[in-house]
Amino acid sequence: MMSTSIYNTDASTTDNYLNHTKGVFSWLFTLDHKRIGMMYLVCVLTAFFIAGVFAMLIRFHLLTPEGMFMTQDQYNQAFTAHGAMMVFLVIIPGVPAALGNFVLPIMLGAKDVAFPRLNLFSWWLWVFGLIFFLLSLAVGGLDTGWTFYTPYSIDKTSSMGGVIPALAGAFVLGFSSIFTGMNFIVTIHRLRPAGMTWFRMPLFLWATYATAIIQVLATPVIGITLLLLIVERSVGIGIFDPAMGGDPVLYQHFFWFYSHPAVYIMILPAMGVVSELIAVHSHRHIFGYKFIAYSSIAIALFGFLVWGHHMFTSGQSPLMNVIFSLITFSVSIPSAVKVFNWLATLYKGSIVFNAPMLYGLSFIFIFTIGGLTGIHLGTLATDVHLHDTYFVVAHFHYVMMGSALIGFIGGIHHWWPKMTGKLYNEFWSRFAAILVFIGFNMTFFTQFMLGSKGMPRRYATYVDVPELQIYHVISTIGSVIMAVGFVITAIYLLESIFRGRKAPRNPWGGRSLEWQCASPPPWNNFDEQPVVGDCYDFSVLEWDDEEQGYHWKEGVAHPGEEESEIE
Amino acid sequence: MMSSAFSILFGTTVGNPETFWLPEQASTAAHSVDITFVLINWICYFFFAAIVSSLVFFCVKYRRKSHVMVTDGPTHNTTIEIVWTVLPLLLVIVIFVVGMRGYLDLQEAPEGCYEVQVTAQKWSWTFDHPQYGATQVAELTVPLGRPVRLLMTSKDLIHSLWIPSFRVKMDVIPGRYTSLWFEATKLGVFQLNCTEYCGKGHSEMLAKVHVVPADEFEPYMVKLASEYEDMTSEQLPAYAINRLYNRCQSCHTLDGTVSTGPSFMGLWDRVNTGAVKFTSGESLSSLLGSMTEYGVPENYIRASILDPQKHIVQGFLGAMPSFQGQLKDKQITAIIEMFKNLEDLTDADGNITVNRDGTPKE
Amino acid sequence: MTTAEHHHHDDQIGHIVPVKFLTLICCILLVFTAITVWVSRYDFAEINISELNIIVALLVATFKATLVGLYFMHLRWDRPIIGFIFVGSILLVVLFVGMALTDSTAYQPDIVKGDTPKVAQAIDELKH
Repeated sequence: MMSTSIYNTDASTTDNYLNHTKGVFSWLFTLDHKRIGMMYLVCVLTAFFIAGVFAMLIRFHLLTPEGMFMTQDQYNQAFTAHGAMMVFLVIIPGVPAALGNFVLPIMLGAKDVAFPRLNLFSWWLWVFGLIFFLLSLAVGGLDTGWTFYTPYSIDKTSSMGGVIPALAGAFVLGFSSIFTGMNFIVTIHRLRPAGMTWFRMPLFLWATYATAIIQVLATPVIGITLLLLIVERSVGIGIFDPAMGGDPVLYQHFFWFYSHPAVYIMILPAMGVVSELIAVHSHRHIFGYKFIAYSSIAIALFGFLVWGHHMFTSGQSPLMNVIFSLITFSVSIPSAVKVFNWLATLYKGSIVFNAPMLYGLSFIFIFTIGGLTGIHLGTLATDVHLHDTYFVVAHFHYVMMGSALIGFIGGIHHWWPKMTGKLYNEFWSRFAAILVFIGFNMTFFTQFMLGSKGMPRRYATYVDVPELQIYHVISTIGSVIMAVGFVITAIYLLESIFRGRKAPRNPWGGRSLEWQCASPPPWNNFDEQPVVGDCYDFSVLEWDDEEQGYHWKEGVAHPGEEESEIE
Repeated sequence: MMSSAFSILFGTTVGNPETFWLPEQASTAAHSVDITFVLINWICYFFFAAIVSSLVFFCVKYRRKSHVMVTDGPTHNTTIEIVWTVLPLLLVIVIFVVGMRGYLDLQEAPEGCYEVQVTAQKWSWTFDHPQYGATQVAELTVPLGRPVRLLMTSKDLIHSLWIPSFRVKMDVIPGRYTSLWFEATKLGVFQLNCTEYCGKGHSEMLAKVHVVPADEFEPYMVKLASEYEDMTSEQLPAYAINRLYNRCQSCHTLDGTVSTGPSFMGLWDRVNTGAVKFTSGESLSSLLGSMTEYGVPENYIRASILDPQKHIVQGFLGAMPSFQGQLKDKQITAIIEMFKNLEDLTDADGNITVNRDGTPKE
Repeated sequence: MTTAEHHHHDDQIGHIVPVKFLTLICCILLVFTAITVWVSRYDFAEINISELNIIVALLVATFKATLVGLYFMHLRWDRPIIGFIFVGSILLVVLFVGMALTDSTAYQPDIVKGDTPKVAQAIDELKH
């Protein structure tokens, strides 16, 4: 027997997960997925701002060909810190840990994830990972680049002393990722409600599921790689060190076998978010549900077969190069399919240009460019020219930052009313979204040209090609615009917590289960697990002027409800 | 024939000057690489335009006018899904084939290449011309219109040699040989970069490629190989530190730091006074002077370059290889003169302050 | 209410493997470990089939891993999909190691010949 409390949670009650228990320890040792999600969100965004500061240092330094204000050593540490923090602390945990943890169980109508303690442990591992990284900065600095290539990273006379703590930090963060993945796989398999078959799940869950598969399968490889590096550097076993008969290129195979699937860990959840954003904010049933779902799985699986495309000029044999290049093109197709399906979702929709939708549209625009430039890099003849140049830097910023991060921020805006119970300032949110979009493209589009014209990666100076300065200057100006956009975002989001309007249960008109509990959700989400129907069928919702949100239409049965039971 | 069709279609020609995206083409391979690049670009422009214009069009036409939910849009269409899966797949396979063919051309070095041996190390490029016995540091001279093959290895870390105008790149790996080939089609000076991060001096590990007419190449090389022969002893130190020191660089520093071998800083003083102890327990002073093995300190230095294992300095492992056959007599003399005058050639941090012709460096 | 498909699982604890059986498997594993150690000391070159060393070692290792997977990891009594997942991981390992080895084999001719000083020194020390 369904209780109506599920769908019409008493809005007058103020007891929710935020205030249910008080005190720092009730947060630090909580088992509640919503609190863990919020802690992750705060931590990840803090790491994002710190790593962003390093990025600004880099961009300002490169305003002149001789370098503005950093020494070579400082510059090398800056780009290493920026890359390592962004990859391991921000983008890989990003959407799954901060948004997924919060939203996933509620989307399933469940009380929590399958393993709440493991979830808390994942968060603590993230914190330890951060501490190790900070330790590495203190214990001699880190200047190997986030890729830790050998022999540089094992040569104590070349690289700085903070390598081993940094490797340990990445190792610990790897486990944080693995446990989150395990948790999500089991939760999605076991805790789905009645009516939610695999092909009735919201697409965000398909994306999260595909991501979790990669997390569990691929991350142990980087764990072992990092351990081997630690042992090589400290004890000198000789596996990667050519002075002892080892093979430094073997390290690259180890590293990229994880790190390529890792980039799909970064992008798939953001694509899942975008599916939700596009559908909900254009009030349209998603187009091609099955194809989008299958494409997530296809990307996850194909992603394991292409790691060698990071090594086309590393001395890899031509046969391997040809094989990897061919398979690399296969990965581009499922991503293209998604973009076409999202466009078709917009067709005959009712599109509102609020912040979440602006981020969703930005994603499509930017990911199109990022994905298309991947073709230049996957093609052998052109990659020889473009590898290890700013073209690569531009490409991966387009997909990792302009797509994955923007999807993340779009998701934050989309679920912000649900997570905090507050609405942010509409005008400033749209303004900041546009600033970020313009700033991003200005920053990174010029870097494509820098790369193809001859600017190598990881260069602190470019005195032999001073004619490229104009591109660097435009790029830096763009980064300032983008930074301003992010700062404005931080301000209005924080402001909304203290002074924002109270959010209705369903401000956007979403149909997935999280929009049917209160904003913010109560401590245990739902009293009973509801039955679900098609979560993209928005026709059952209607606008309520009084609460300034959407609610279930009067007279329309909920799934599983008998006609006679309708109030 | 195909490539001429592409040329006409995309407006590129052999020897293209710098374009919006790419530097000038200065090698035979650059043309096919650029054709591939331009082909991909135009396909990308097309798809970008199609996607973004649909995006903008839909956003304008279907913008929200009321809160009423719309229900008449399609939710799936298997035919169109198949179309927009298969067509891009066919397109990328075409791109792959074009790219693969261009790539394989870059791999297969033709017969009769002129060979240059490249040694990369932190943070300089050394180019040896075995045919002439000449060595160049931080610059590479090659003949126009003749295929050149670079056989490369590194002394320490992974570096990567990139000549943007030739569109060639290959990593340079310690303990292993890698190679690339090119045939220059334009006279001039072209940039060469290290493009695999190698630490502090990565941004400064640069070189220049000088392409000279084929008939000028041989005389220039012959002259280079023996440039020290006509030098006076005052000119030798500047020559040695610019042309020869890089071979010693990976083990012997100029700033006093003890590395695999002793530092060159203050070495002449130590050798001259015989204040060097060997692992055998002997000290150099007992080997200098009349009726001894070496007599004068210069002989000891000469011997330690040609037969370094004979007397190993205490505290070191004896890792130095012999340079027998690699250095001519006068080059060894130049090195000895370099030691004697080291203070005039370097600063306190071990940086070289003098050019090869004796003029001070900036 | 959890989904209908696992109502009956709520009451069961799950298949219990008798300790005696596990001990038996453990003993078999120990026996094969002893075989591996013995084989490593016996140089098959004496009977002119020196490859047998590595073949025997790998066969024994595969057999032991299979026992561990089937019995210690409970795959024998689990649903087939669990076994497929395990085998899938093995396939990924094969893919990775296979590709990496193929690549390194291809560039063996380009490796600088001879031992580096450190390697020569290490071999020296081993001999004494």
